[in-house]
Amino acid sequence: MNLIEKAVVMTEGDMERILRRIAVEIVERNKGLEDVVLLGIQRRGVYLAARLRSILKETEGVKVPTGELDITLYRDDITTLQEQPIVHSTSIPIDIAGKKLILVDDVLYTGRTIRAALDALMDLGRPDRVQLVILVDRGHRELPIQADYTGRTVPTSKTETVEVRVKEFDGEDKVVICERNGGVE
Amino acid sequence: MQWRHRHLISLEDWTREELEFFLEQADYMEELMNRPIKKVPALRGKLIVNFFFENSTRTRVSFELAEKMLSADVVNWSASGSSVSKGETMRDTAWTLEAMGADAVVMRHSAVGAADYLARKLHRASVFNAGDGTNGHPTQALLDLHAARQHLGKLEGRKMAIVGDVLHSRVARSDIQAFRKMGVEVVLAGPRTLMPLCHEELGVAYEADPKKAVSGSDMVYLLRIQKERQEEGLIPSIDEYHRRYGATEKLMDLAKPDAIVMHPGPINREVEIASSVADGEKSIILKQVRSGVAVRMALLYLCLGGVRN
Amino acid sequence: MILFKNARIFDGKELREEVSDVLVAGKKIEKIAETIDVTDDMKVIDLEGKVLAPGFIDLHVHFRDPGFEWREDIESGSKAAAAGGYTTVVTMPNTDPVIDIPSLVEYIAEKGRRAGGARVLPGACISHKRKGEYLAELGLLREAGAVLFTDDGAPVKTSKLLRTALLYSQDVGAIIMEHPEEASLTEKGQVNEGRISALSGLKGFPHSAEYIDIERGIALCRETGAPIHFTHVSTALAFKAIAAAKKEGLPVTCDVTPHHLSLDENNVIVSRYHAVYKVNPPLRSREDVKAAWAAIADGTIDAIVTDHAPWHENEKDLPFQEAPFGIASLECSVAVVLDTWLKMGQPVSLARVLELFTSGPAAILPEEWQKLGHIAEGLIADLTVIDLDESKVVDVSTWKSKARMTPWNGEVLTGWPVMTILEGKIFDKGEDNGSNRS
Repeated sequence: MNLIEKAVVMTEGDMERILRRIAVEIVERNKGLEDVVLLGIQRRGVYLAARLRSILKETEGVKVPTGELDITLYRDDITTLQEQPIVHSTSIPIDIAGKKLILVDDVLYTGRTIRAALDALMDLGRPDRVQLVILVDRGHRELPIQADYTGRTVPTSKTETVEVRVKEFDGEDKVVICERNGGVE
Repeated sequence: MQWRHRHLISLEDWTREELEFFLEQADYMEELMNRPIKKVPALRGKLIVNFFFENSTRTRVSFELAEKMLSADVVNWSASGSSVSKGETMRDTAWTLEAMGADAVVMRHSAVGAADYLARKLHRASVFNAGDGTNGHPTQALLDLHAARQHLGKLEGRKMAIVGDVLHSRVARSDIQAFRKMGVEVVLAGPRTLMPLCHEELGVAYEADPKKAVSGSDMVYLLRIQKERQEEGLIPSIDEYHRRYGATEKLMDLAKPDAIVMHPGPINREVEIASSVADGEKSIILKQVRSGVAVRMALLYLCLGGVRN
Repeated sequence: MILFKNARIFDGKELREEVSDVLVAGKKIEKIAETIDVTDDMKVIDLEGKVLAPGFIDLHVHFRDPGFEWREDIESGSKAAAAGGYTTVVTMPNTDPVIDIPSLVEYIAEKGRRAGGARVLPGACISHKRKGEYLAELGLLREAGAVLFTDDGAPVKTSKLLRTALLYSQDVGAIIMEHPEEASLTEKGQVNEGRISALSGLKGFPHSAEYIDIERGIALCRETGAPIHFTHVSTALAFKAIAAAKKEGLPVTCDVTPHHLSLDENNVIVSRYHAVYKVNPPLRSREDVKAAWAAIADGTIDAIVTDHAPWHENEKDLPFQEAPFGIASLECSVAVVLDTWLKMGQPVSLARVLELFTSGPAAILPEEWQKLGHIAEGLIADLTVIDLDESKVVDVSTWKSKARMTPWNGEVLTGWPVMTILEGKIFDKGEDNGSNRS
């Protein structure tokens, strides 16, 4: 599958600003950071969650417990995937019972990943509430899922993909829209 | 990495890369066992049949746990056959199972080549060899690798001594294959009447003196010795076996200070292994059991989940 | 009358360079000449330079009749042999009941006469009921038509019995054929003792088991002066012992199978233990295969036999350890040998290979049959035509044999018998094609 970069949706500067803004919103919405736990969804959500954690440490002086969640084993589209779904690590730093859990993911599309994450959370414990941070919302929801904190909403077509790149993993901070193979679905 | 295996009959055609990838996946599966709810829906709707022609509670239960944790539907089928038409029964039963919708068959059988045979006969379902006669027990080797790796870290360049009845052991054969692929030097010890005549074909050395074999080893792997061997006249007595080859603390002291002791279970206390060694610090026998479930989960998930080529 | 034109004749000993014409009249070879004039009453077949050999002889086949007819019977076996290029076969007596009384020898011979394929010569048991306790009535069996004696399937049980049999057989005029295996060493054996037994844990047939029994036979041959023939020899160790015995001048002969000339234990491993490769004696190491061809080259081996061992698919298609021993190969055996010979770069002369199918086995038979395996004017017109250029796939579904499993199924082999002439009549492969099974 060939991907051709079409447009840059977020630069490094944009990403920094957006994450800082989201951090502020988190503190506001939750009236502080008591009982807040960040949970990054593998793979890039994990890096974004880590970024939020360090911003919150900087601005509020609080070390927010941060974990990683792999949802591969909860996916409902296993038999239709092109690639082998590889399992990555799940590590939850503390008991999530009664906590205000904030899921962090890079792109919100059909909503199925978040649904799987919610299923996983149900099996891991009973949080007080669950909120969702999303860097890019690209539309085309197939389930009634919404983000509580959104970086940017970008309308896309189904032949396009949205790629979030992070320094720690991809070598640069950037969000781009790509087109698949000559636009054929 | 694209997982290309539909069956697991033998680890012979696994690359080292695939082994390392697999063991990592098993690590993540093990984490599931720490959760309050030990279940994920990954293999929901898949039908797995445990086809055990030979008695085995441990392996079957281990597979069953793995299957259930992944939410698969499980059917246990045990068959004992002594009739001439055993094979017809197996072949027709296999086709019947496939017609009923089995996605996988986990099979243990006393005949070498049984798992290969079944894999040839099934058109769609996966076959997982839980032991075919004296030939192989690949999931045992995988769990042994997993447990050893967790304790020792890198296995490359390490030394493993396998002590016991290698001649009749499918565990030994699979472990030799697997550990050698990971760069481990394997040496065998035990009575010569219980060693394969052409052991060099397996790529291993034989040391007549178990003390020399264990000396400097990172891993000491003990095999069960069965009463039948005495009855068949291959060893004079179990007592003599224990005295000469039993893993006592004294013998284990010859291994590296942080060496580990392994056993496929169930252990014969005071025969091939002293109680104090089995329960001692060096022993990772119970860890092996835990790895067994994790490794079988990883295997089922990789072969049955996702699109195969 | 049939006139074969442009035949490259192998007469049993020599392979001619130039072509000749051969005229067959009735059951006999009427004339051999550089050119024979065509007359109206002749059917003319132009062989275009293909080899015309004496009809091939197979000294060791299992036709399972009486007692196991669902696996094969004399009719299907005889036709399979003819389809495979053979004009004479010797049947093994380990049937049910075993062939240890004259009436049963006559049964085999009579059914063979009516079968419509290769000539069937009965082999009879050495011991009463094949139990290895005492001699069967070898004299009466011989008079009824038995051409050799064997307890094949097993070695002769005791040295005492073998010695007695060797002594007695000399008066009777038919040879003792020994299946060389020291049974206590091969108990529960499945495969070659060597690489494959180490890898799989399957119990191996030690090479010493074949060697020990052959040395026993050689010692008794030396003592009694009686000829002895060892069948399906498979190990380098054994070939060496037989070569030494021959050098000493002892009347020791032996044969080898096509599978031991072409396959080895690695085939079993690579096939992931497919039962089609399970046979006794087992497929050995590569070195043993090389030793077999060397034994052909230096004259140690006298004949090639198929040891054709047909089973019903339901009986043979099982996991390796559960399956019975035996390879069925009559209809592709000649091609297997020729193809292997070609692929190895022709390690021996073509004449030598052909000798092992013709005059070699004929010499093992009793005197009245020894003219088989030769071509000369006045001899019986048992002929086999070989086409070294023919390439064809082995397809069990077309076999006349009831067997439907063979190691070479689906393989393309080069060098086939393309015509079989039985006592002057061309065997029609086209008719009653395929299965004789119900």
